[in-house]
Amino acid sequence: MSRIIVMTSGKGGVGKTTCTANLGMALAKAGQRVAVVDADFGLRNLDLLLGLENRIVYTALDVLAGECRLDQALVKDKRQPNLALLPAAQNRSKEAIKPEQMKRLIKALTKVYNFILIDSPAGIEMGFRNSIAAAREAIIVTTPEISAVRDADRVIGLLEANDIKAVRLVINRLRPAMVAAEQMMSVKDVQGILSIPLLGVIPDDEQVIVSTNKGEPLVLDEHLSPAGTAFINVSQRLQGEKVPLMDLSIQKESFFTRLKRLFGA
Amino acid sequence: MVSDLSSPQNQNHPDQNGQPPNGIDFDNFILEIEPDPLEGNEDAVQTKPESNPNLQVQFKSERGRLLLLLPPAPEKSRNPVHWEDLRQQLKRRLSGTERFLQPHTPVHLIARDRLLDSQQVQEIDALLSEAQLPLKRIYTSRRQSAVAAATAGYSVEQQTTLGHLGQGQEASQQAMDEPLYLQTTLRSGVEVRHRGTVIVLGDVNPGSSVVAEGDIFIWGRLRGVVHAGAAGNPQCRIMALHMQPTQLRIADQVARSPEDPPAQYQPEVAYIGPDGIRIAIAADFALADLTTPETT
Repeated sequence: MSRIIVMTSGKGGVGKTTCTANLGMALAKAGQRVAVVDADFGLRNLDLLLGLENRIVYTALDVLAGECRLDQALVKDKRQPNLALLPAAQNRSKEAIKPEQMKRLIKALTKVYNFILIDSPAGIEMGFRNSIAAAREAIIVTTPEISAVRDADRVIGLLEANDIKAVRLVINRLRPAMVAAEQMMSVKDVQGILSIPLLGVIPDDEQVIVSTNKGEPLVLDEHLSPAGTAFINVSQRLQGEKVPLMDLSIQKESFFTRLKRLFGA
Repeated sequence: MVSDLSSPQNQNHPDQNGQPPNGIDFDNFILEIEPDPLEGNEDAVQTKPESNPNLQVQFKSERGRLLLLLPPAPEKSRNPVHWEDLRQQLKRRLSGTERFLQPHTPVHLIARDRLLDSQQVQEIDALLSEAQLPLKRIYTSRRQSAVAAATAGYSVEQQTTLGHLGQGQEASQQAMDEPLYLQTTLRSGVEVRHRGTVIVLGDVNPGSSVVAEGDIFIWGRLRGVVHAGAAGNPQCRIMALHMQPTQLRIADQVARSPEDPPAQYQPEVAYIGPDGIRIAIAADFALADLTTPETT
């Protein structure tokens, strides 16, 4: 049976779309057939992060309107043919689609793909309800900030109320040095509040910005950056493998930090 | 100059002769969604062709008066325009065509089969008043809208058919509308649809789109998606001062920009050549038209 996973957070800007793009690509690299679905109608971004914007011909709305078939709307990734994107419409609002329609789209996708990742919009309104309508599992993306964690907590409650019980956590943009200096919430702090299983921790990494602007997910890099490695690990855990958490504490004594300290930066 | 040319997959199903449901050919499969359980009745199918997907809020001048045509009722359209979209479209059209609207021209609102409540009529009136356009009269085929508008104090005419206004029924067989001239920047999320030629004096940003049944002129930077000849006319052209589109479409052809942008931009023309969409420098294109008639 296909796994249908919604990536959600409540708060905006914590990295849902980045996680969806990288996780989707990592799973596809591992040989899974993956469909990533952009549920952020009106503010779509997933196509940009995957570098597929200029190949979109039809969107999910065209499929629902009967203008094209579902396979015609899917944008297949040239670098990784196991990955396909179902784009959202850019010129509409979140109210343009109903949960029931989302279910029909996802149901059809399950015939071909064994992983379906749904990139949820921020918020808990219509767009969120659409994105969770067909999901059986959820990945909560949060940053170690009190506001993001508060919103994530709310969303976990909403998911439980909608019978999505398999909810797991990705903590994004962790800065080990700040955690060590007790300036940032630690993984433990976040887990203490949310109390759901941890799927992975992604360290804060400038390469994320570079990859976003290039439209090439980090996991495609030949020499994986720390964040890229963390995404690969998350994808492996998602497939049931046991992968130990990256030891992020080592990094605070890395060569560069020591160098910085030497020069008193 | 356009690399990576491709055309959208054939609309017909060329190889429908059944793959087994389980053994899906991953490189080449057909996937369809189940029909909408609510829309499964015959009525839905019959109402479909009636609505032209290219209809948006539109101004037309007719013998010294201005007609404001609203798109058809959203429940009947494949490309529904809901109230909030309608309000924004009207606002954009008013600000984009400002220079050409003669103040104090009476406006006749052709609401057709759209349901309008009195508050919505008042909002339209308020938007028009900002552009110094008085709302003279409202034409509607819906009794409810007529009552609402009359209660709000407007002059109303209820008509059962609005055929003479030439909208709706057989839209595809009609002559195109007069060109739409917009002085504005089209930002991400904005889509301009028009049954004719579109001229934009301004930039077309990535994430925005123009869909025209005629030609498209962009006097500015074209970086979004544009579709000329959207009703199927392959003769249509796209012209831009700075041609850097996300995607170009003419009739049923699609092309993307080259991966590496040119060092320098100059005005260019996109047209359908013998093997798909081609781009030419505007100055050369005009000459080529004169010197090589139908050689290739």
